[in-house]
Amino acid sequence: MVSVLKRGLAIITLLIIGYWLAQGLAGVPFGQDKMLVGQYYLDHVKQQTGAVNAVTAIVVNYRGFDTLGEVTVLFIASTGVAALLWGKRRKRTAKTEGSIVLTTGTRLLAPFVMLFGAYIFIHGHLTPGGGFPGGATIATAFLLMYMAFTVYEIPHRAFEKTEGLVGMGYVIVGLIGLAIGGYFLFDWIWQTWGWGHNNIGRLFSGGFIPVIYTIIGIKVGTELSGIIDNMLKEEVSE
Amino acid sequence: MEEASPASKFAYTFIVLFVVWLFFTASLDPQELAMGAIMSLVVAALTYDVFTKAGLRNLHPKRVAYAIAYIPYFLWAMIMANLDVAYRVLHPARPIRPGIVKCKTVLNSDTGKLALANSITLTPGTITLDVDGDEYFIHWIWVPDEVLRAKEESEHVEHASEAITKPFEKFLRVIFE
Repeated sequence: MVSVLKRGLAIITLLIIGYWLAQGLAGVPFGQDKMLVGQYYLDHVKQQTGAVNAVTAIVVNYRGFDTLGEVTVLFIASTGVAALLWGKRRKRTAKTEGSIVLTTGTRLLAPFVMLFGAYIFIHGHLTPGGGFPGGATIATAFLLMYMAFTVYEIPHRAFEKTEGLVGMGYVIVGLIGLAIGGYFLFDWIWQTWGWGHNNIGRLFSGGFIPVIYTIIGIKVGTELSGIIDNMLKEEVSE
Repeated sequence: MEEASPASKFAYTFIVLFVVWLFFTASLDPQELAMGAIMSLVVAALTYDVFTKAGLRNLHPKRVAYAIAYIPYFLWAMIMANLDVAYRVLHPARPIRPGIVKCKTVLNSDTGKLALANSITLTPGTITLDVDGDEYFIHWIWVPDEVLRAKEESEHVEHASEAITKPFEKFLRVIFE
């Protein structure tokens, strides 16, 4: 009886909250032009950043601090998982080897998944996507390896070093901007060097967006792989 | 079949990845080509060891020709398979006689076995359940009489292989062995 009462109360509360939110949103006109800052971005994105994809230009260029923050959040998540699970002797305990269809399929698929991840992050300024989806795709390749093989482990040393180096790379790119242009994450490749001005829409354009997205892609890829590695290991008693 | 040298494996992986990159970008812009070459080199360096065992031998003209010829052959088998299943679904008597049969294959390479398993799954009413060494366990939607009435296991395997694995093996043996 208690559970029925609980459920009833929960449903009523949710209905009230839902109605309240709907009331709030009813005041927002749907389908009307209400862009204030948005129009500025759309009008200036090409000449100010060289990127065709306005979303990546905003995320990396106009509001680069947010992205730096997100990368930091991910880094903290990865470090946090590692810290929580640290200290005890841990190893893979999966017992059943997959069938030959699974393992061979994974062997064949992993390079293509990685290449596609690289394709996504390198074309961040031209196509939908960018560093985070690209990095997540690359981590999927490692997840595949973990799922298909009982003993597979990522090369830890190389991964942790790469992760740290590319993280520093992001900040260094920002600091070079500070030195050249006067503020952090200033797009020196586009604004000062003018590199890529004549071929907007082709690959070698977009200022430092491809550089930063390569950094983010590698960082996210290695970090998510590290989280997978930590989560999949089980404690072993001595 | 002995394993190819690392250089040969690396070169083969690079070539395959670069061709895939060309399909991804669908452009021959020199910038795309340069970046594709760099990315393919990096990914190939990371994965060539797991990707291939035979290396550049896979690009032998005869193998490539057989692989290209296999595509329409396989597509035709797939279309017929789907029509066959549609017939079984729509037929009022619902003519199914399911069963699990064992087949043997002559293929030795892992990739060949994978290709055979997938070909079997995608064609006439057969699904690969498991592959163990050179034995395939296959679920068949209509087990024919000669397999059903087989007295001995060897006879059963022979008839089943004749119907299921043989048609693909004549191609796959050339492509992957």
